[in-house]
Amino acid sequence: MASDNANLPGGKITFLLFFALVNFSFTIGIHNDNFSEELYVKPFSSGHVMFHFQFTTVWNVSIDKPESFQHYHLFPKSLGDVLTTYKVKELHLSQTQGLWKHEKWGYPPEDAPPGDELWVWFQPHSGVDQTWADLVNALSGLFCASLNFMDSKSTVQPRWSFRPAGLASEFYSANSRFVRYSTLPREVVCTENLTPWKKLLPCGSKIGLASLLNSVKIYDGFYHSLGVHVRSVCQDTQCLTPATELKQTLTVVYDPTTNKNGKQDWSFQSMFDRTLQSQCPLADTRKIYVDVTTQETLPKFSLSPVPDFVLNQKRSGEERKIAVYQIGNHLSPSSLNLKAMYEEKLTFSNSSLPPVYANRFVTGYGLERGGVTCMIYNTMSSNTTVIFMETVPWFLRVYFSSLRIENDGKEIKPYKINFIPAKDRANPYQMELVFRLFANSVTKITYSFERAFLKWTEYPPDANHGFYVSSAVVSTVLPVASQYTATSQSVSLLEESFSDSSSSFFLRLHTETLLVSLPTPDFSMPYNVICLACTVVAIAFGSLHNLTTRDFTASDPSKRKGLVAKLKSFFKKEKESPENKPDSKEEEIPSQKDKDNSKSEEKDSKKKDGNSET
Amino acid sequence: TSPEEFFKSGHTNNWAVLVDTSRFWFNYRHVANVLSIYRSCKRLGIPDSRIILMVADDMACNPRNPRPATVFNNANNQINVYGDDVEVDYRGYEVTVENFIRVLTGRLPPSTPRSKRLLSDEHSNVLVYMTGHGGDGFLKFQDAEEISNVELADAFEQMWQKRRYHEVFFMIDTCQAESMFQKFYSPNILAVASSKVGEDSLSHHVDPSIGVYVIDRYTYYALEFLETVTPGSKKTMGQFLEVCPKYQCISTVAKRTDLFRRDVNKVLLTDFFGSVRNVELLPDSIHLQNATLHTHSEDSSDVKSDKPLSYAQQFPMPV
Repeated sequence: MASDNANLPGGKITFLLFFALVNFSFTIGIHNDNFSEELYVKPFSSGHVMFHFQFTTVWNVSIDKPESFQHYHLFPKSLGDVLTTYKVKELHLSQTQGLWKHEKWGYPPEDAPPGDELWVWFQPHSGVDQTWADLVNALSGLFCASLNFMDSKSTVQPRWSFRPAGLASEFYSANSRFVRYSTLPREVVCTENLTPWKKLLPCGSKIGLASLLNSVKIYDGFYHSLGVHVRSVCQDTQCLTPATELKQTLTVVYDPTTNKNGKQDWSFQSMFDRTLQSQCPLADTRKIYVDVTTQETLPKFSLSPVPDFVLNQKRSGEERKIAVYQIGNHLSPSSLNLKAMYEEKLTFSNSSLPPVYANRFVTGYGLERGGVTCMIYNTMSSNTTVIFMETVPWFLRVYFSSLRIENDGKEIKPYKINFIPAKDRANPYQMELVFRLFANSVTKITYSFERAFLKWTEYPPDANHGFYVSSAVVSTVLPVASQYTATSQSVSLLEESFSDSSSSFFLRLHTETLLVSLPTPDFSMPYNVICLACTVVAIAFGSLHNLTTRDFTASDPSKRKGLVAKLKSFFKKEKESPENKPDSKEEEIPSQKDKDNSKSEEKDSKKKDGNSET
Repeated sequence: TSPEEFFKSGHTNNWAVLVDTSRFWFNYRHVANVLSIYRSCKRLGIPDSRIILMVADDMACNPRNPRPATVFNNANNQINVYGDDVEVDYRGYEVTVENFIRVLTGRLPPSTPRSKRLLSDEHSNVLVYMTGHGGDGFLKFQDAEEISNVELADAFEQMWQKRRYHEVFFMIDTCQAESMFQKFYSPNILAVASSKVGEDSLSHHVDPSIGVYVIDRYTYYALEFLETVTPGSKKTMGQFLEVCPKYQCISTVAKRTDLFRRDVNKVLLTDFFGSVRNVELLPDSIHLQNATLHTHSEDSSDVKSDKPLSYAQQFPMPV
């Protein structure tokens, strides 16, 4: 067709015009999403360095209208199909290995418990339990994780702790019917989870910031956490139409001083074994931020290459200096290898504690009872309200009457309590407490439990390892953004939350997970038990059988011979039996009829003996 | 293959079901075994969507692994068989006898995702590889349960009756492995085992830096053979069945060819380990509907609300 029109100049021009128009409308019509890749580097005073990768895709369609999820461009279709099929409004999945040390490192951009954590808000519909069961199966295939184990035995509906992070009406968020929360504290995170996560990125893992993600170095770190967060956000400042935001995060904490004798220098090459050689052309924002607040104080370090500019971030009482790199400016002539060079070796010092942090541990001994204690520390000079949420598996039977909240020995009455007891093999214990944390104090929450006996088929193959209890979640609102690095609720990118005029900051913390032993049978015992049981059965049954089936004949007690006489008669019998049977008969004392009978029987038996001997 | 050969063979796609049944650190070699075969399958062309990989324990990110995210099958650490691009479908506690039989027979619950299903048809060649601890007539799954050879034979018969395979190549590397295929009675199954009944399969060598054996003998020599195979190779299954003679394996490699209809010396190795990517050319043309360029503009007008939307309050209590 094109070759026909080429002969006529008019035809060619109309064809080109038509093509251009189609292309133009095609572009406006379809490409209404944008993608950003950012990296936030924060060195801590303990010598560790955090690298937080954030890949954000914002698509100007509403997740409430699944039919608008067509014409995928930057948003991954595999995830979009799962979200629309299972009527998801918000999805938050984190896969973590390691424990985030709040006392040393402050607050991460996304707080996550060890293992896997999944919480989902669904669109209003009936049968949410079935949808949740189907969703976790679909996600287990998508992320190569055993999320299908998140069944009713470990799923709860938090009432106050996990409100939607995106756009939602008051009426909807107050209704905990549509939210489900579950964790798998035992789950391992390895390259098989990073691989499908990387495949969701528009630029894949070959170019851009994702090319730094070397699994061999990431899984060698102190702490690593993969996150997938989907929520509704405002399309613009007027906020009349919602958009869908997909945030993929990876937080890695390294310790550059190991094997280096205290030298704190770090660089892309030493931490990832790679340098940044390209940027993703599909991304609108491609930046690296380094927190250089402590650059002039101890420990002093200098960055190479020199940053493009340094921002002063003010966030309600906390001022930070952020060095910004526009990736495109640093890729030529050679790749970008961001380096920090420290003047001195690491010196250990007391870092400033964050405003609120928590520790939790198991108490007690033995395999019958135990207790859990959680200490929440408030280092601020003001009181704050806190929501404490715990999910305890059904086999640790919690005594609600033993729940105590203490502050400096004085008991505190919680403002609200939501306690749902467990149902054996069906639901876990769900506990949410709202209480006040006093300034500069430690609040202790304790409760005791009793360990249940499981059925022998319910033990996992490595039963002696123990059973895990998921992290407790502490939610509060901070008046100052002290050591706070999370993005604000109303923005998507890290750079948009560097300067934040809000006066309150929502904080969510996860405590440690617990490992509890249950009374476990010795699974190697069956052989021993069978032997023992069979022996007992043989002795008891054998004796009973003999008693019931043998025919006993009475013998004359006067005719009972002593041992010596028995032996004598035995030898005599041997000597004389072929010849002198009548003699032996005559030796016996003549007696009554029954004795005659017995005598004749004895004679018979002797005859028989004699016969048998011959 | 030429078009005539393609339509004659009856084989159009390849699947692989690779199972490691052992848990605990000292069974590192079983994970290395299965990952080595996984690596070979992927290298020769079978994509992840056609491989069901079941690994019962995590060795790569195990706290005892001095080189995280790596699994080596050789003390020289030449090849990281875990690699950078691995997708494990059934991991940890999910590797059970029930799940394995369900995968083979296709009787999975409706919510099972596609990556965990064996969606083979009557033109699929399926490679089934199993490794772990076994005995005379059984294979141990995770130290908690066993699968018997009778169950396995019945599972393959179910597959045959449901037309879920064209040909099966069954490889097993355990002690007394021959017993596992003795009860097979379905046609078109070619089986090889690393040891005869009454013999133990032995492991190859220890990696002193880890302290455990890193690979089993049969899989080590099988891998050595497979590393010389390229996707276009003309090596035959007959050659593969002769791998690991007694002086190398110490146990006797047993094979079962009576159920297999073709002559093993004429069957290509890539029929099972590689992937057939054949294209069927249709002589007739198909007319596609006009693409939906106008529906998008309809959608965007519906979503506007009259009141501005707001973010949910994350802390619902008075501060």
